[in-house]
Amino acid sequence: MRFLEHPTRHLFFTGKGGVGKTSMSCASAVSLADAGRRVLLVSTDPASNLDEVLGTTLSGKPTPVRGVDHLWAMNIDPEQAAADYRERMVGPYRGVLPEAAIENMEEQFSGSCTLEIAAFDEFAKLLGDEATTSDFDHIVFDTAPTGHTLRLLTLPSAWSGYIESNTSGTSCIGPLAGLQEQQRIYQATKQRLGDAAETTLVLVTRPEPSALQEAQRTSEELRSLGVNNQHLVINGTFKATDPSDPIAIAMQLRCAEAIDNLPKGLVSLEQTSVRLASGGLIGINALRQIRGLGIDAENDTAPSDEVKVSSGPMFSMDGFTSLRSLVDQFAEQRHGVIMTMGKGGVGKTSVAAAVAVALAERGLKVHLSTTDPAAHLQSALADEGLDGLSISRIDPAEVTNRYRREVMQTAGADLDEQGKALLDEDLRSPCTEEIAVFRAFAESIAEGKDGIVVLDTAPTGHTVLLLDSALAYHREVTRQSSQMPESVEELLPRLRDPDFTRILVVTLPESTPVHEAASLQRDLRRADIEPYAWVINQSLSPLPLRDPTLVGRQRNEQSYLNEVRSLHSKRTVLVPWHPVQPTGIAGLRRFVAQVKLKQEDTTVSIS
Amino acid sequence: MSHVQIYDRAMCCSTGVCGPQVDPVLPKFAADLEWLEREGHQVDRFNLAQDAAQYAANSTVQKMLEAEGVDCLPLIFVDGKVVSRNEYPTRENLALWTETKLPVKNMLPMADGGCSGGSGCC
Repeated sequence: MRFLEHPTRHLFFTGKGGVGKTSMSCASAVSLADAGRRVLLVSTDPASNLDEVLGTTLSGKPTPVRGVDHLWAMNIDPEQAAADYRERMVGPYRGVLPEAAIENMEEQFSGSCTLEIAAFDEFAKLLGDEATTSDFDHIVFDTAPTGHTLRLLTLPSAWSGYIESNTSGTSCIGPLAGLQEQQRIYQATKQRLGDAAETTLVLVTRPEPSALQEAQRTSEELRSLGVNNQHLVINGTFKATDPSDPIAIAMQLRCAEAIDNLPKGLVSLEQTSVRLASGGLIGINALRQIRGLGIDAENDTAPSDEVKVSSGPMFSMDGFTSLRSLVDQFAEQRHGVIMTMGKGGVGKTSVAAAVAVALAERGLKVHLSTTDPAAHLQSALADEGLDGLSISRIDPAEVTNRYRREVMQTAGADLDEQGKALLDEDLRSPCTEEIAVFRAFAESIAEGKDGIVVLDTAPTGHTVLLLDSALAYHREVTRQSSQMPESVEELLPRLRDPDFTRILVVTLPESTPVHEAASLQRDLRRADIEPYAWVINQSLSPLPLRDPTLVGRQRNEQSYLNEVRSLHSKRTVLVPWHPVQPTGIAGLRRFVAQVKLKQEDTTVSIS
Repeated sequence: MSHVQIYDRAMCCSTGVCGPQVDPVLPKFAADLEWLEREGHQVDRFNLAQDAAQYAANSTVQKMLEAEGVDCLPLIFVDGKVVSRNEYPTRENLALWTETKLPVKNMLPMADGGCSGGSGCC
């Protein structure tokens, strides 16, 4: 990995969920530590599995990693950071102010803003406050999936800019008000991110078009924020070792095609390819192997050689259901919402689109609403057209502008010029986008009254925040006198109604995506929302394989498939890996049709 | 000149734009306070979430919170006396309590007269 030859003090790893950010950041940190540098590895992912990958129990403070000298690691836990922050603000007044006042304060500090600001505050301390990290030569950040990271990285600019331009000084800085003394740190954070001698941004991606597109978007967005020292890691490139395995050949072709069509914005970046590993990249030894793969991919011994193909277990499809039978269950109802949830890169959009197409083909009126910024779905399906299927997209910038105009025209209508200016200023706070997107989301859910709505993702990209907002707003709804839109007022009851909203938790049969999905499910349950089913996407398990790397991966899937079935989900859909990307109506049709659960097909040998 | 103090509930921001629906009362009140300040009064606005020390330091606020809970908020003081509780007052009321003259509504200039030369309106 060339970015390790002259490493900067800060290294950021970002990318969609499940692309291997944790593996890559851990491998880099281990490599730096092995070279004698003092390294701090930090995960900012709320669903971090750094502990599992490193084999060390971590906390919110730097902990020495077992088996690697000079390496320390820690998790920034946003929940914990928010709880600490809340206690810092409220604690001193317990027993001083009446109980009712304390309760009111706590309520205010449990909103989504607090969570976000508190996590950001922790992050800013590590990046912007020299004293906190002076013990280390390098700080490696393993960040949460893209949406959240962008938010984290844009916040220093957004809030600094907002505070600078806020002339009234009184208003909408929200929970940040208690952190104003941290301004210096935010400024330093912003500056440090833009300094190529200090910070390297490593974009991690899989050799797949959607992941590469997202890497390109992230790259552009961060460049516009002045983060220019970028490096691309393509993780999981694949060459078939067994030419008689048609699936391996198909996978090799798919991979080569994706790399051949590298998005323009990525071509100029320095690149590192990391070959697809046959097993899970858990433990220090596995991490040390990645490093070798990265530096000299061709001559290295592939770890897949260690896999004993002959002892492949029989894979049973018992207990799994098919996407098609799920669609049959949905089709019985003429209205309601079907929502795919999960981290980026697990195939939420494909699953949502496939379900929408299948329902429309059963003669139902279906509206598919996507937040997929690439919008390739929209163009792909609109060109072909399908009776009964309409598609729309929630564009954050567009809904934010609409919301600003609406507020100025309603709440701002009776204000004098100064009053209007004050309101306009508050509406430029970074909170506004959250609210605007949240309202657009509530409106999409409300459309389920009159037909079937399929929603492809949590619009904020950060479901936890979304749900916390729904909860906090719901409380507010019950006490605020002003008229709330019906869609917002009814949002939580609708999401909680199992006959109205059916949530599909989408995941991949790998460690990080499964654990992220489990944590998502816990958040949903905390809000009294029960997912309808889990969809395990891109599984190799039902496929007849011979290629040793793929057989190794297939075997590696087993424990995650079992974990999902036994611990997490009462209804589990297994979608096999597809040799062709499921695009266009024909592709989506195949996506639904693929698994046949006839009795004779229920067991497939994997070797 | 008067000293006006406002003790709000715990809120995200004083104009309410952080909520799912902006209550028009909030931006209006924020604008009215701006106006009071421009008229030369001292205005201090506190938010329970961010300025709890102010609530603890004021025994009247403490007592009212004790007796009524947060329902007494917003509490409005003018020169140390409570003038309003549990609601956001109008600009007219603020003017009354602080003995401030409200601007006379601008009248449309008449067709003839009402506009002397050099005033710039013709």
